[in-house]
Amino acid sequence: MIGYLAGRSPLHRAHPYTTLALAAAVLLVAFALTRPLEVWLLVAVAAVLAASGGGEVLRSSVRAALLLSLPIWALLFVLYGLLGAEPRLALGVVSLSAPGMARALVLGGRITAIVLGFLTALGTTSPHRLVEAMTASGVPFGRTFLLASTLTVLPRMRDRARQILEAQQCRGLRIGGSPLARLGALGPLALPLILGALAEVDEQVLALDARGAGGGARRTALEAPPDSGPQRLVRWALLVAVIVAYGWKFWRMRG
Amino acid sequence: MTLRDLVLIRLGVAVNLVIGQIVAALLLPIYLDSVGTILIAALVGPRAAIAAGLVSQILGAVISGNFSWLPFAVVQVVIALYAWAAARLGLFRRLATAVPAGLGLGLVAASCSAPISYFVFGGVTAGGVTMVTTVLRALGAPLGVAVASASYATDLLDKAIACALVSAVLRSLPQTLAARFPALAR
Repeated sequence: MIGYLAGRSPLHRAHPYTTLALAAAVLLVAFALTRPLEVWLLVAVAAVLAASGGGEVLRSSVRAALLLSLPIWALLFVLYGLLGAEPRLALGVVSLSAPGMARALVLGGRITAIVLGFLTALGTTSPHRLVEAMTASGVPFGRTFLLASTLTVLPRMRDRARQILEAQQCRGLRIGGSPLARLGALGPLALPLILGALAEVDEQVLALDARGAGGGARRTALEAPPDSGPQRLVRWALLVAVIVAYGWKFWRMRG
Repeated sequence: MTLRDLVLIRLGVAVNLVIGQIVAALLLPIYLDSVGTILIAALVGPRAAIAAGLVSQILGAVISGNFSWLPFAVVQVVIALYAWAAARLGLFRRLATAVPAGLGLGLVAASCSAPISYFVFGGVTAGGVTMVTTVLRALGAPLGVAVASASYATDLLDKAIACALVSAVLRSLPQTLAARFPALAR
């Protein structure tokens, strides 16, 4: 959907933990807010965040966020606006549920804010810098391996799935027809993919072991991204903001 | 966690994320996004399966860009634990027991995902499930009933097929390969 977009913006230069903390804070605060105005203010904050990543990040993340959010808005409109509870507002030929539309605005805005916040983080956080930051802060090798290495394995596995599909079709496998017939084709396609991958496990373990991945020693980051006092302060402030948002939510619920 | 466990977890995550490509090619109305988690639970154990489920959820969000579904990560944890228990009971050894185990998993998974879907997202989540919810709502079902019915219907089908597929994989493993997974012998 959106990958890292190189740049020199403050978000690009920030420590990867700071950028991710901003996105995580947007996600957590989004679930704490319950009124349309509050949620759409958060959307505006997420948009400002995207803008601070530079023009290209703003364009890409807003476009991707709209692509992801529009189908959800459409479903919310039908489920809550058209099929929602009384009282209703007449808008030309259609009548919309007033409480339903308010709820749809909260739910739609929440998803838009979260998607926009994380897409901005993805667009401004270099995977290489993130791995270096994790290594520098002593995150065990296993965790960085799982997050970084799996992303490199996926294209290979996708290619293999495509090759198996083509090979089985050459052998006469039909992938059309009734749902049961299509379900029957699942085995000949999925089994070779999974069994082939399982057969390669030992080879991959040996290759990783040969590179010293099996040792428990703490690894040294070659280019650890610089962290700073103000950035740590920002991360603590975000944590406080999240706590305040939930405190406010529960206080309102009691009232 | 050993290096071998890590490689297997990576495999489980890749299966979770790539199997959808095959499902899409077959135009099946299911996701099968937990096949890798169930497989790793049977081959390695609950800890590795939970890791595979959580990493799948995170990387799925990274790839699709849609991070709002992260709260559903808890469903992957439940799937991992259930699948491990089912594997320990030997339910994946035969198709006749794997399918009922999958139906049970569908019930458990839907019982976790339906409240998240209803309370956190107001019933609007993945396209297919929400379409079923919308149709049921249009037919007059209350929103909570529509969301729960859609979740149960899709999860029962999805997990029954996922467990049948994992059972087929385990039964197709050559002896030499199966011997490398001590959890299978238990």
